[in-house]
Amino acid sequence: MPAHLGLPSQVTLREQPERERDSTLVEGIARSDRASLETVYREFSGAVKTTAWRVLRDDSLSEDVVQDVFVSLWKEPGRFDPDRGSLRAFLLTLAHRRAVDIVRSEQARTRREETVPESVAGDIDEEVWALTVGEKVRSALSNLADGERQAIALAYLHGLSYVEVAEKLGAPEGTVKSRIRSGMRKLSVSLGEVRT
Amino acid sequence: MTHEELNALVATYSVDALQGEELIAVETHLEGCATCRDELDSFRQALAQLVPDSPAPSKVWERIVAEIDATDANPASTDLPAPIDLAAERGGRRSGWLTTMAAVAALVFATLAIVQQATISNLTGDSAVALAAERAAAEPGAFVENFEVEGVAVARVILTTDGRGFVVPTDDLPALPTERAYQLWVINDENLVISAGVLGHDPTAATFTWTGTVSGFALTREIAGGVIASEGDVVSVITGA
Repeated sequence: MPAHLGLPSQVTLREQPERERDSTLVEGIARSDRASLETVYREFSGAVKTTAWRVLRDDSLSEDVVQDVFVSLWKEPGRFDPDRGSLRAFLLTLAHRRAVDIVRSEQARTRREETVPESVAGDIDEEVWALTVGEKVRSALSNLADGERQAIALAYLHGLSYVEVAEKLGAPEGTVKSRIRSGMRKLSVSLGEVRT
Repeated sequence: MTHEELNALVATYSVDALQGEELIAVETHLEGCATCRDELDSFRQALAQLVPDSPAPSKVWERIVAEIDATDANPASTDLPAPIDLAAERGGRRSGWLTTMAAVAALVFATLAIVQQATISNLTGDSAVALAAERAAAEPGAFVENFEVEGVAVARVILTTDGRGFVVPTDDLPALPTERAYQLWVINDENLVISAGVLGHDPTAATFTWTGTVSGFALTREIAGGVIASEGDVVSVITGA
């Protein structure tokens, strides 16, 4: 880790409520304060890379996404709105979207198809549980119907469009959209948290 | 599509599983529907919890710093189009260039080792600066010209023969969000575009000094604090100074 990370300020920031801490960091970035960007990088880049890797299954491409996300934050800090969610969620949204853009490119299509399980139902469930960390998340996912969990996993973990998810699951497109919707509503209730 | 139909797609949008016309329709709808935005935000918060924290990847930070440094120091590394040869444009097509915003946006801002060759100041107060600007504009040989947007003056630039500069915004220059700022640039005789100073997000009358050659001015929108090299969000350009 670089020696010039802003460790003292990071300790202070951790003691602040999340919303205030996020705002403080992004305001620092807006003032071109690299220590603020380093703090954000140190705290969230691992999760950003994990988000991208789950879609891309490629270390090099995932690190490209990490770079894109943090350079984007540096250039356009005003895109983050603390009233609309945490900085972590904002960065993971950027990472997922960027990864999906890459995976849907022709160049990466072959690689992606090689990583999506052929026998979907069992393999996807197995993969979801393997990637799940934490009792709260495990509990939330176990509350989903199998079809809901599989549809969300194929879309979110593999970057498939709902049309492709429908093909993989052999289900009507409307059914897939409904499963994603009902599943996401359950997750947002189960994993909903009061932001400080 | 109705609100219900669009709302039903928000969850699919949250996992980036929409494409084509549905994607465009939902994104357009989200801009104007707080209910759907709130739901989207709650989905994104939930999705973020599916991802565990993990150590920062090694080496990527150095790449990020290198890209930021390159962007700040070398505008040629950005995706901007090739620079316009202002000298050639002054040969008779200047007015056409001025009225073509696409061409204006194609300006590439050159970098100098010294970022601020001129400095912006309004320490003497708005009214005093505005009064001084009015007097300077009446001096023999003073350059006086307006930055215009669609024919409406948004700021006046004055530069006296001894290098005293003034920029005086009009009421038609809209305030920017606080994370953005207007920045003033001088275009010299070598067609280099050099920062003359940052005017802030809601500018008032300000002074600057400029003793080098000058062929024009540019007004841009940048991030708060200003930038070394503009990415080309040009508000207006003046040539012929």
